[in-house]
Amino acid sequence: MTNYLPEIEQVTLPNGLTLLGLFYSRVPWVSMSFMNKRGGECDPPGKAGVADWTAEFLTLGTIRRSQRQLAEDIESLGANLQARGEWDATMVHLDGLSEDFAALIATLGEIVQTPRLAEDEFPMLKERRRAELAQIMDEPREVASRRFQRLFFQGAPYGHALRGEMESLASLDLGDIQAFYHKEFSPRAATLVVVGMLPFSQILEEAQKVWTGWTASGPASPPYTEAPRQSCPPGIYLLDRPELTQSEIRMGFLGLPRSHPDFFTLRLVNYVLGGGGFSSRLMTRIRSELGLTYGIRSQFFFRRAPGLFQVSTFTPAVHTAKVVEEIKAVIQNIRDNGVTAQELQEAQSYYTGHFPLSLETPRALCRQVLTIDLHDLGLDYLKLYCDRILGVTQEAAREAAHHHLKPENLVTLVVGPASQCRESLEKLGPVEILEDS
Amino acid sequence: MSASSPPNWQPQIDIVPFHLENGLTLLVLPDHYAPVVSFQLHYLVGSRYELPGITGISHLFEHLMFRGTEEVGPEEFSRILQARGGEINAFTTKDHTSYFENLPAAHLELAVRLEADRLKNLKLDEENFQTERQVVISERKLRSVDSPFGLVEEQLYATAYTQHPYNWPIIGWDQDLHRLTLADCRSYYRTHYHPGNMIAVVAGDAAPEAARDLIDRYFGDIPNPGPPEVSQIVEPPQRGERRAIFKKVSQVEAFFAGFHVVGLNHPDIYPLTLLAAILSVGKSSRFYQEFVRSGRAAEMEADLAPPPWSSQDPDLMVIRAVAAPGNPLAELEADVWTALEVIKREGIRAEELARAKKLMKSQAVQALAKNFYRGLVVGLFHLKTGDGAKANLMLKNYEAVTPDDIQRVAQTYLTEDNRTVVILKPVSPAESQALGPLV
Repeated sequence: MTNYLPEIEQVTLPNGLTLLGLFYSRVPWVSMSFMNKRGGECDPPGKAGVADWTAEFLTLGTIRRSQRQLAEDIESLGANLQARGEWDATMVHLDGLSEDFAALIATLGEIVQTPRLAEDEFPMLKERRRAELAQIMDEPREVASRRFQRLFFQGAPYGHALRGEMESLASLDLGDIQAFYHKEFSPRAATLVVVGMLPFSQILEEAQKVWTGWTASGPASPPYTEAPRQSCPPGIYLLDRPELTQSEIRMGFLGLPRSHPDFFTLRLVNYVLGGGGFSSRLMTRIRSELGLTYGIRSQFFFRRAPGLFQVSTFTPAVHTAKVVEEIKAVIQNIRDNGVTAQELQEAQSYYTGHFPLSLETPRALCRQVLTIDLHDLGLDYLKLYCDRILGVTQEAAREAAHHHLKPENLVTLVVGPASQCRESLEKLGPVEILEDS
Repeated sequence: MSASSPPNWQPQIDIVPFHLENGLTLLVLPDHYAPVVSFQLHYLVGSRYELPGITGISHLFEHLMFRGTEEVGPEEFSRILQARGGEINAFTTKDHTSYFENLPAAHLELAVRLEADRLKNLKLDEENFQTERQVVISERKLRSVDSPFGLVEEQLYATAYTQHPYNWPIIGWDQDLHRLTLADCRSYYRTHYHPGNMIAVVAGDAAPEAARDLIDRYFGDIPNPGPPEVSQIVEPPQRGERRAIFKKVSQVEAFFAGFHVVGLNHPDIYPLTLLAAILSVGKSSRFYQEFVRSGRAAEMEADLAPPPWSSQDPDLMVIRAVAAPGNPLAELEADVWTALEVIKREGIRAEELARAKKLMKSQAVQALAKNFYRGLVVGLFHLKTGDGAKANLMLKNYEAVTPDDIQRVAQTYLTEDNRTVVILKPVSPAESQALGPLV
């Protein structure tokens, strides 16, 4: 099963930067990622989006090349540059043809080590973000997901949108970006991953040329690993959007960090609950049996610190209360009774069978290696993955479901037309009306 | 293994074709990189084969294909295959409906058996039909009604096409979704779902002869009633700009413009695809540099599906322009037309074309890293043009395009008379309600 898995090579450069390389033989491509292991959780209070803006700012020109020149040079190689702030890390990805590897890795180094951080680019970045935030107001799914994070975490890290919020847009300035870059970007907090049709000797040689001389001021903030001191009280919250025909529904409670030993067990339990598409109980009940939605899913957001467990769906507005009630019942049932032996076995065979498909492309492999490094999962993680999935017992699944599913703690957010759903929601419990923001 | 590829790299997908006695075409694309395989069935039925009054039936029918047979319960098809590690899904386009299973090669037979079962024995009953109709109505609300631009794009196609079936959306009009009956679906199934109106693709870790035997074992006895009657409708040339206004609650103003261009089988699809890339792919593109970077436009895109995703009949090249708040839409629109006039008058720079070609090469290389895409590319070329091997010529076709070709297609297709423009005009929730229900 695992004989096609290439070895992950690892070297730490003298400046502390970790280099991870993986050979990929199928097509002449290379996927590279620079990961600085501090992200949106380090955004200063009231300055949502600083990590993500910093990531984009890096791509807007270097000391040597203007934004336009850099974009032209990269795109003339058919390469693709993406940079974003995530929770727990800030990423710069550069993918291209392996024939251009030397130019690509030099360009990635130039972007990360010598960004221009130019004053004239900042107002344009801000205008683009302002326009984006205005547009997001028209996307009910996005409005619901953002509002739910904010409602749930109540100002704690993970409680704002990674790309920024309209309320704090005005307060962001170039100094915030520069400060974030100089403090958080450091070789000791960073990893470079290269997956491509390239021998590791070549990856190492080029990486040494480009990256060994990089020093940075730092030291980066300590990693954020705590649970939030406070979060939203359980209950039903409604944001009235009279123009919508459907309600967006988000329900959740505080989950666990990636380092929790029940990670694999909960992954399997969640497959049965709402992660397994048509194999999941939520999809079976709400879509296949009741026809009340096109899609529903649940997931645990496993991060360095505890993230959310969240159920997301939508339904024609008149059915909102019915769907909320049914979701809670499905969670309660698994919490009380666990999953069946057949359900567990199917979840296990899904993850083990799907495993090679999840490693098909260089970008997918790169993403796996980044996760392994970010969460210290060990270089043998991919080799042991299937055994760990298969090692979960029905009893362990029952215990984990009982212990970690908390239907009594559910925070429910509905974004939809109150005239069509408020009355029926009030029959389920008190409904707090949220102000538009 | 060489450390890097030569710059003249071309796709070389090994395609082994078979033709079963009942008319079914099978394309096997062997590749033993990993023990996985993509099994795909592409039926030659999409929204262009529908008639007014039953729009959306192709897509609704795609949903019904998951509702079970005598042997397999509703949605069990997905559950069984997913439990073997499979990715299972389907999609409906204007021209075809495609079903696929990407899964460990060891379970290919199971996928083949279950696909043949639902082609032969689909359980079409009233209960399944009513449930799935509700699901599709919810999907329409999600994708069209409550989405920022879904209804605007529908209005664009409905205005640009007066006779051709690309006039209506793939998901169908709301009234038709309520009007459709189980009898309509049964008749649709009999007419379009049979070995003479589809192709099968096996891409990945499979031996060609063994795959052929497998398909023959399960599909070989399914009768072929002959090709469905299809009327070839040609959209008459547009004789003057058409404009429409669509009012809805929105934070932004926008315009969507469509120019009638060509379908997959026309050689101009290649220069047109490159032109769209020159205009809006990447941060060095013309639209990004002129409109997006400065913050005038929140979004600005020239969109034309590239081969082999291009539609079979002439499609629209669509320009989607969303004005950033505070930027007048009329000025933005005028400046976009000026930007197009510059290309028509002065042509493009050689390095812009080289960049666009390299982007296409990159996309091809990335796509070929997945069996699923290898299968789709070959399958869709075969389905729409009769020749799956065109997949291996894609890059050569792009490479042959000259700067003059780009200028010529801009002059030919991007004209005012050939243009349809729909303006999204924001209104308040009260004004929106006064205009009647959104459907």
